[in-house]
Amino acid sequence: MPSPHGSPTERLLARLPLALALLFAALFVAAPLLAMVLPTLSVDGSFSLARYATILASEQDRAELLNSVELGLGAAAVAVLLGGGHAWLTHRTDLPGGRWLAPLGVAPLAVPPILVAMGFADFTTVSGFWACVVLLGCCYAPFVAVLAGRGLRSIDGRTYEAALLCRGRAGAERMLLRGALPELLAGAFLAFLFAISEHGVPEFLTVKGKTWHTYAEGVFRRWTRRATGVTEDQLASPVVAALPLLLLAAIALAIVLRVRARASDGTATPLPVRPLGHWRWPALLLPATYLTVGAVVPVVIMGLWAAGSTQRNEPISFAIMRRSFQHALEQAGGDLWFTILNALLTTVLLLAVAVPLARLAARRFGWVDHLAVIPLATPAVLLTIGFVHAFNGPHVAALYDATFDFYDSHAILVTAYAARLLPFGVLLLSSAVRRIPKSQEEAALFADRGPLARGLRIHLPPLLPALASLACLLFVLALRELDTAVVLPSGNDTIVRRLSNVVHFGGEDVGGALALLLLLVAVLPPVLGTLLRGRRLDSLS
Amino acid sequence: MRSLATCCLSSLLLLTACGGSAQVSLYVALDQEHSEAIVRRFEQQTGLSVKTRFDTEASKTVGLVSAIVEEAARPRCDVFWNNELAQTVRLAQNGLLQAYVSPSAAAIPSQWKDPQGLWAGFAARARVLIVNKDLLPDPGEWPKGTMDLVDPKWKGRCGVARPLTGTTLTHFTALSLLLGEERFGKFVDGLFANDVALLQSNGATMRQVAEGKLAWAFTDTDDYHVAVTKGHRVGVVFPDQGEGGFGTMLIPNSVAMVKDCPHPDDARRLIDFLLAENTEALLAAAKSAQIPLRAGVQGPNDATILGVGAFRAMAWDIAGTAANLDKMSAAFASRF
Repeated sequence: MPSPHGSPTERLLARLPLALALLFAALFVAAPLLAMVLPTLSVDGSFSLARYATILASEQDRAELLNSVELGLGAAAVAVLLGGGHAWLTHRTDLPGGRWLAPLGVAPLAVPPILVAMGFADFTTVSGFWACVVLLGCCYAPFVAVLAGRGLRSIDGRTYEAALLCRGRAGAERMLLRGALPELLAGAFLAFLFAISEHGVPEFLTVKGKTWHTYAEGVFRRWTRRATGVTEDQLASPVVAALPLLLLAAIALAIVLRVRARASDGTATPLPVRPLGHWRWPALLLPATYLTVGAVVPVVIMGLWAAGSTQRNEPISFAIMRRSFQHALEQAGGDLWFTILNALLTTVLLLAVAVPLARLAARRFGWVDHLAVIPLATPAVLLTIGFVHAFNGPHVAALYDATFDFYDSHAILVTAYAARLLPFGVLLLSSAVRRIPKSQEEAALFADRGPLARGLRIHLPPLLPALASLACLLFVLALRELDTAVVLPSGNDTIVRRLSNVVHFGGEDVGGALALLLLLVAVLPPVLGTLLRGRRLDSLS
Repeated sequence: MRSLATCCLSSLLLLTACGGSAQVSLYVALDQEHSEAIVRRFEQQTGLSVKTRFDTEASKTVGLVSAIVEEAARPRCDVFWNNELAQTVRLAQNGLLQAYVSPSAAAIPSQWKDPQGLWAGFAARARVLIVNKDLLPDPGEWPKGTMDLVDPKWKGRCGVARPLTGTTLTHFTALSLLLGEERFGKFVDGLFANDVALLQSNGATMRQVAEGKLAWAFTDTDDYHVAVTKGHRVGVVFPDQGEGGFGTMLIPNSVAMVKDCPHPDDARRLIDFLLAENTEALLAAAKSAQIPLRAGVQGPNDATILGVGAFRAMAWDIAGTAANLDKMSAAFASRF
């Protein structure tokens, strides 16, 4: 029987994925962040934290941060109402079509929030704080819907029935709520995090004498002024200003992780279905509202744009729509393929990096989870400018001359996207790893296999459903990432960048067609996954 | 796991080949739809390959300016073609541009060229008022100029983009210099008092007017022309033409060579091409309907977009405006 630790070569190879993942984190997360932060720690050539003393010094900054917190809480509340309601109705009750509506709960995630905002602005006057709260709440409700659904599935039906017998309906429902609460709150915090980081929608939905700004808008505004600023303070200002946002996000995510640690391990007998009685059909209104606001309206509006709704010269027609799709494919067919390839490679790279890091977080160092959230909590624009400073300059010239120009290649975009989305990979997979009993891995030590074979045949298979769901999520998020694409040269070839331009310059017909093509690509993996596997991609949580 | 990592590395290596070996790198802030055709024409004429990077509305037209600033340690851009002027001048003031006096720019009026050859302007947009003809059918009732924004007659019926970036930032910064601090402060107060719609962009102001949500608004001629080509019933006013008015602001495209750029010789050829009369004519004929700065060049097909000389242009302080951009954008951020 071979040693459970294998030969030295096998041991080395078994450690290689983790070593490469750590190298990735050092090169593409730590180095860019340090490239941004280090200059802010120096005043007149010596170490100083003086610049950070200016954080929240102005009344405007404090007001903006308060606005962001209010916006985040409001959006999270809407997300809980819609996403939580959707999860409860589709997982717990005999809602008509619940089996199909449940996986559709993630659909709004495929639509970039700015498209939702543009869609609503097209047929109604939506503006101001509350419109922003509702729209962002709808856009990020999928986090709550998916996680709350996972929470409900992880509650043991036998426990529920026992509670029903002992404490009656009310007591059993309270037990149910307590069981699902960690996942529900985790979803709400994710909605909060995304809402406070969003700068495009609040800006778009503001007209007539702006009375409120968000903090993310302030950071973005400071970034735009880096272009005209000359002093060190001006250049450092967006980095310094991002700190409160980073802390806010870090606190929210720390709470998420803490709350989620209390979640059940997911090995459960399904809950008994609760009949809705005469409320069965009216209850459809909630998922319908949720999906209509988050997905249907934007898709319909994009369809109308493609059919020529913004023109007055010709009436709306399928002929115009066909022409719009033709133009879209002529102008941006290459960009579409590039975007798909980029998203696929980002997904593959990220999975390769996330699996070893997630195992490290779940089995040895829990704080890896906390560190991993930094790229998501940092404004994307700043993280990407860090890439520019880390990977473009005289310090890398000799290396590029000897090898290849990484900065000018498309590889930098894949790595930047992977770095930006790394938190999703690590957090979701570490959660999945934790649900696998440690005893299973301990028993595997005695199997007649070396470390590599154990990794591939014993450790990896239980993670495959989570990997499949995560791959779908990463693919969608990589398709719609704009801020990173704006800063890096190879982002020039992405479809979201072109989309944002054509719509701005009155090309709503082509823009509508491009948006629909992008959405079609985004929903393909989960739909194919559902069809091929014959069941829901329910391991996303 | 190993195969996954191998697959990833192979794909990344494959992607490294996708960077290509462009001979000249061009950063373009003008809309891709219009600039791309001109770049292709240059490639056909010269046989040179151009690697083009476009800006996005999401970055509020400062994305490329920012990229040039961030990449200064190892410049990647050879030629910067900006769709406005002030940010280019700002780059020049910050020492990030390299002088080149193009022979193609000889006929361009001197006010639109840097005396040291750091930049040159061509093909302009004008800051105009777009008017909804259904809401205001009588041209005699149309607004006449900038100060109509603060006229109570138009309370809640007119709009302008927030002056945080783009041509509106340039416009408002130039106005602040023209009017002086006190008068400009009153003007800004008046915007809020008059319930002026402050919108995300000039495209948004155009759409609000075209859809009848506002009676009129400030926008750029290219946005106005988009509304016309889409069949909206809109008219245009070149503002501030009356007695004592300060004239309509013209904001030209600008082109410049980046300091220490990797391909200076090819950069000069590209600049010569962009500053040629033919480029101005192409941009005038395109959907963006740019106004040629040279009197002899054919203007836009849309007769409502006046050519240079057919209206009084605002005499704005280009260098002063550029120098004040950062200060004013910070000030505007706290108001708008």
